[in-house]
Amino acid sequence: MDKKLSHQNTSVLGLELSAFSYLDAPASVLRDIQVEVRPGTLTVISGHSGSGKSTLGFILAGLLPRYGMDQLSGAIVIDGTRIEFSSSSTPHIDIAQWAQHVGMLPQDAGHYLSGIRGTVAEELAFCLENDGVPRAQMHQRVAELAQRLRLGHLLKRHPQQLSGGQERIVALAALAISEPDVLVIDEPLAGLDQQAAKLVLEMAALLRAQGTALVILADSIRFWAQEADALWWLDEGTLKPHASELLGDHESAGAKPRRPAPSDSPLVLSMDSIRLSYPGSDKPAVPDLDLQLRSGECLGLSGANGSGKTTVLKAIAGLLRPASGTMSLTGTTGLLLQNSSDQLFERTVLREVSFGIPKKSSLHQRIAEVLAQLGLESYAQTHPYELPASARRLLALATVMVREPKILLLDEPTEGLDELGEAKLRAIIAAVLARGGAVILSTHDEEFMHSVAHRVHHMNQ
Amino acid sequence: MPRLPRLHPFTTLALAVAVVTMATAASIWWLSCAVLALCFLVSGWSGHLKKLAMLSGAMLLPTFLSLLLIHGLIARDASPAIAEWGPLRVTNHGLEVALALGLRTTVLVVVGLLCGLLIDKHQLVAAIDLSPVPPQIGYLLAATLFLLPQMAEKQRQIGEAQTLRRMGTGSGLAGWFQRVRLRAVPLVLGSMQDAQDRAVHLSARGFPAAGAHTRLRTVPDSSMQRGIRWTAVICAVLGPVVILALARLGGR
Repeated sequence: MDKKLSHQNTSVLGLELSAFSYLDAPASVLRDIQVEVRPGTLTVISGHSGSGKSTLGFILAGLLPRYGMDQLSGAIVIDGTRIEFSSSSTPHIDIAQWAQHVGMLPQDAGHYLSGIRGTVAEELAFCLENDGVPRAQMHQRVAELAQRLRLGHLLKRHPQQLSGGQERIVALAALAISEPDVLVIDEPLAGLDQQAAKLVLEMAALLRAQGTALVILADSIRFWAQEADALWWLDEGTLKPHASELLGDHESAGAKPRRPAPSDSPLVLSMDSIRLSYPGSDKPAVPDLDLQLRSGECLGLSGANGSGKTTVLKAIAGLLRPASGTMSLTGTTGLLLQNSSDQLFERTVLREVSFGIPKKSSLHQRIAEVLAQLGLESYAQTHPYELPASARRLLALATVMVREPKILLLDEPTEGLDELGEAKLRAIIAAVLARGGAVILSTHDEEFMHSVAHRVHHMNQ
Repeated sequence: MPRLPRLHPFTTLALAVAVVTMATAASIWWLSCAVLALCFLVSGWSGHLKKLAMLSGAMLLPTFLSLLLIHGLIARDASPAIAEWGPLRVTNHGLEVALALGLRTTVLVVVGLLCGLLIDKHQLVAAIDLSPVPPQIGYLLAATLFLLPQMAEKQRQIGEAQTLRRMGTGSGLAGWFQRVRLRAVPLVLGSMQDAQDRAVHLSARGFPAAGAHTRLRTVPDSSMQRGIRWTAVICAVLGPVVILALARLGGR
């Protein structure tokens, strides 16, 4: 940190970026960006998947450029101190010190959690422990935060036993407890149920009221637009003010009437008094479920985090045997898992889609077709880990679709998808239904669910 | 189910080390048997009897078989044979050596496993963090202790995803080998990626602590337990020396 700003500046974080490129990358990912963040403000940066939102967030949080690797030219002003970056000099950043001013919650909130603490309370106190805060003070701050965010019931839980939504809220609370000036949050509402999303929005308002500035990185601005002090659109590596007409388009996109469900087509799935339990667990994940699905029908599963939606999908896909009840299904199933990373094993997109298909199988002819259908042809030789989040999600879907399942099971399919990806997902669902298949999707994206599903089954906790 | 008093993890460890070193140095069969009986009694009290029996059985059975093979069946000592099958002969001396070594190993394994079952991993890491040792030691232990369960969970998720794609579903030994082969590479690559993704956020959260650090978790301790620990450490160091010295004097 080379010099203190002499003039009065109320911003807590400023970025003047000329260009940023990753190590060995042929071109800059970001260029000509200027952002200023003032205390208590809400800055929303949206853009398609792969547009560089997360990269920008990592730069603001001091996690990029990696010392001696990536190239950043420009300057960052943090807490009144200006730090210059150029191709010839990259200052060494003390990440822990930077995080006291700017904290970042990544898209996969689980990566923010330490993974080495036994309770949520300890996970919340992790930063404070490393700062040497006395135990009594830590207890007090954890209790206060938990009360404010209604996390009291989770404090004694093991962090690995949390549902996806609970995990994000706990990670956000863990980030907020050290009270940085700015919080950069990547896709804060992805995968959250209505209640959890409401809690995050409340939490955001509370933090802002306390003077914490928020920088939200999101595909969609719809939950944030009303409150935002600055709305940016990241496109072709640079920030542009978000056009208000885009917001209008966005809001009207989901307002489609629900289609009637086919009533005379044959049953493809029937579940009667199904009870689902995980091995070693005393309490059933799903105590009693009756469900029927007809050919050409799309069924939505809704319910709070932890209500057993994923468990039902796994049972239909054959990964979990019902403890009791009867289940009958016609045809093959294909399940898109919630976390795409769990579903990808190979070193190229092409190999990934081909994985597990016998050499002489006619399914090989489907590979090029499915890749084209999902817009992944140009990525055929790319490593799955190098794909933008939306393309990675579509790749996971491609691995399912290549086998032409009769019943397509989708677990949080819109998570990580940008608008373009969502359009492709809609097309896939329509194609499955048109060929006489059926779809069950579990999602917290109610707008998407109501626009594609014929009916919705609510899962009770 | 009766429960044992919650001991500081270092107390349990110190007692275990003292018992193992002294029982090994004494090498008296009835003492080893008494230690084993006590271990199973304690495991019964604490509700770990079945787990201890299964784990120690799985580890000790191959150990005993190999010892029997080395010292019992193919030993070339001159003592009278109990039974003979061509080049293989079981002798009194060979059997005695195999049993003595096996018993010593059994004490080590059973006490060690019981320790692992009795000590709460999070309490142990917290105890190390709260001790004056460098924070990196606690981190190393935590990473080692918690990496395996995390990898097991990841392995399960990879297995589920591969099952969905009809891979790694074979049965028997061939199916098992196929599953191991299919899961190993994504497991290692995924774990490395995961570690890389986590590392940067751990640094941002100030881990490992550069200066003084604290822990929210408390690890109950008392002056009595500290006394027991010191006594156990002294016994672990001096006990074998005294036992060996007494044995030498007795021999003369």
